[in-house]
Amino acid sequence: MYNEGFAEDEVDLSDEVDLLTPSYGGVEDDLDDDEQIQLMLQQQYAQEIPDVVKNFIIYFHRNVLENNVYELHGIYENSFNRLTEKFYMKTPWPEADFIAPLVNDDQVFLTLYRELYYRHIYSKLSPTIEHRFHSYENYCDLFNYILNSDGPVALELPNQWLWDIIDEFIYQFQSFCNYRNRLKNKTEEEIVLLRDNIQVWSCYSVLNVLYSLITKSRITEQLLVSKHGGDMIEAAGEYGSRPLYKMLGYFSIIGLLRVHCLLGDYTLALKMMDNIELNKKALFARVTACHVTTYYYVGFAYMMMRRYADAIKAFSHILVFIARTKMYHTRSYQFDQINKKGDQMYALLAICIALCPTRLDENIHAHLREKYGEHLSKMQRGEEGLQTFEDLFLYACPKFISPIGPNFEDLNSLIQAIEPHHHHAKIFLAEVRHQILIPTLRSYLKLYTTMGIDKLAAFLEIEPDKLRTQLLIVKQKSRQQKWNSGTLLEGEYVATSDLDFCLKQDMIHIAESKVGRRYGDWFLRNINKFQDIIAGMELRA
Amino acid sequence: MNSESLLKPSPLIPASRPEIIQSLIDGVDRYNPDNVSILEEYLGTQLNTEDYDLMANLAILKLYQFNPHLVNEQVINNILVKSLTAIPNPDFNLCLYLLHENALADENVAKLVELQQLLEECKYQEFWKVYESDDSYKELTSDAIGFEDAIRKVILTSISMTYQSISSELLSSYLNLSINDEEFDSVIQSRNLVNKEGVVLVPTNYDNEAKPTVIRENIKFEQLTKVIGYSNEL
Repeated sequence: MYNEGFAEDEVDLSDEVDLLTPSYGGVEDDLDDDEQIQLMLQQQYAQEIPDVVKNFIIYFHRNVLENNVYELHGIYENSFNRLTEKFYMKTPWPEADFIAPLVNDDQVFLTLYRELYYRHIYSKLSPTIEHRFHSYENYCDLFNYILNSDGPVALELPNQWLWDIIDEFIYQFQSFCNYRNRLKNKTEEEIVLLRDNIQVWSCYSVLNVLYSLITKSRITEQLLVSKHGGDMIEAAGEYGSRPLYKMLGYFSIIGLLRVHCLLGDYTLALKMMDNIELNKKALFARVTACHVTTYYYVGFAYMMMRRYADAIKAFSHILVFIARTKMYHTRSYQFDQINKKGDQMYALLAICIALCPTRLDENIHAHLREKYGEHLSKMQRGEEGLQTFEDLFLYACPKFISPIGPNFEDLNSLIQAIEPHHHHAKIFLAEVRHQILIPTLRSYLKLYTTMGIDKLAAFLEIEPDKLRTQLLIVKQKSRQQKWNSGTLLEGEYVATSDLDFCLKQDMIHIAESKVGRRYGDWFLRNINKFQDIIAGMELRA
Repeated sequence: MNSESLLKPSPLIPASRPEIIQSLIDGVDRYNPDNVSILEEYLGTQLNTEDYDLMANLAILKLYQFNPHLVNEQVINNILVKSLTAIPNPDFNLCLYLLHENALADENVAKLVELQQLLEECKYQEFWKVYESDDSYKELTSDAIGFEDAIRKVILTSISMTYQSISSELLSSYLNLSINDEEFDSVIQSRNLVNKEGVVLVPTNYDNEAKPTVIRENIKFEQLTKVIGYSNEL
């Protein structure tokens, strides 16, 4: 049924979103009793809503009504988290129905509140199947309101929150897919619920939301105008000229980059970024978490496409950024998350460096040695290094998803679902295995300018024919597709190794490229210093 | 002349791609299961010619990923066979990542993976040995017209990148062609290689040149803006 949304012309797409609002076969009835019990519990617990929280909610509501983005920023990033730490570390925030009287039953506010409510449950507690379903329903309400109201809605929210909405929507989708695939410890009721509600958190519904936001906001047109010039107001249109739509559209592009990576479609992931240029002025840099996410997935996709040099560039760029801005985000509620992603990217960087030795930024290199020095040397040691590649990959890869749920008709398959990340790891490691002997070979080649095949084969204790094969591999792997200009998917093959060689029948001729001394930087620095001294003297005179 | 590698990435937009396919894979229409037959048909024309369109083929696998009831194993095999001819581009693996986890256990897919591994590991003689060991491999690749020639091209590129001269006997074993075979001569001539007294000479190119170089630093204009600024103050 959801597929039909995509069959329509692009323009009509967003109108199809209202199909998303799920009608759970039988869920409502099952939940009725539970809900009543919950309601009673809440009433007790209502009297316990601390005054400070009540006041917070009233204040929060007022600022949403007034579109006071500045205040909302503080409320969202600080107050909410402070109150969570104080009152709700182990329990959920009060249910939305429960605070409804405080906010005149304002449905839009309650939807936004529920977004925070469920997100808090996902991050601090463990969500039940009902939470997962209801949170999905709430996202449908939210996106229906934004996409299908009469005309653009007047709501304004901080960029950080808008990013988090898209980010969390995808996170919960991924979390649900993994939850659905693990049927082992589920009760029969849960399995029935999953089976009867296939459309909940389905791939098509998630993609539909993201693509609809992109279409509605005309973000692609806006990006094209900002790149090539033109009339921005005309390009943006009625919806896209509002920050809420524009940013949601933009973040949806990054969201699709992520979703496609999670599904193992790396070319399509990078294709999403066709109109976004990777530089500091790009919009994604306005929200740190988004900035980090963008580079993580771009780097990862490059790595899976064997474009290690491009991956290294992406990872080192963002790791330098994280290191430089560390002091600013230590207090941010996302500090831990950013650090975790940073650690994972160091692990991926270690893999890429092992496959494609490259000179790195000094600080990044020092940090990499400190963290993964031992791993790096293990990965250079042939066969025994494979395990290290696997460990690092599994630690640092995204949480892949299997887009279709288990086959509920076939009871055997219910038990033995393969975890998607093993699928990806297996293919990637086969790739690594081909080049596992390269470091050893390189270390010998570096010592000579010419050498006979027989002699080197004797050193390595392998057959001359096998050595020839290995040399062909070294050659192929020393060429990589590398980005130069244009979209992220573009790039030409260039030599990425400082060691090159050729064969004249049975003789290997080796050539090494060396980095010349760098004078320019030294002169520039000293010219500046000199200029400062002159300026200083002039001031005194 | 020697500034470009012999390796070429699979084109993002092949010249042979019809407009209808272009608009289909650019938009959300690529998710519409009704379009799978158009894409499959397009794969059919790729099989009959040398044309190859990775992005369009990945779009088929994407539709299969979301709609398991559409899956046509023969189509998957043919896509994989086509991507073997694109080695050393990563296309084969990019296709594998999109397949369902269980698909790797499929007998035919496993056979194609075996061929892929041999090609990626440059074990060309072994590749031909396995390929001819049993009719099933030839059957598996029979839909792709000119498959063997395409693989010879892959091998010849790899050799031309590495060798400046190679004994013709060795080369012929890599290509699985006898030295006395006319085809051997025509294959090497197609690449401007010269067969001279049992040795095949490869003209120098970007990849087989192996010249020691010194990488000089590159100062960008932006780095000089401050210095140029000073001259204004004088």
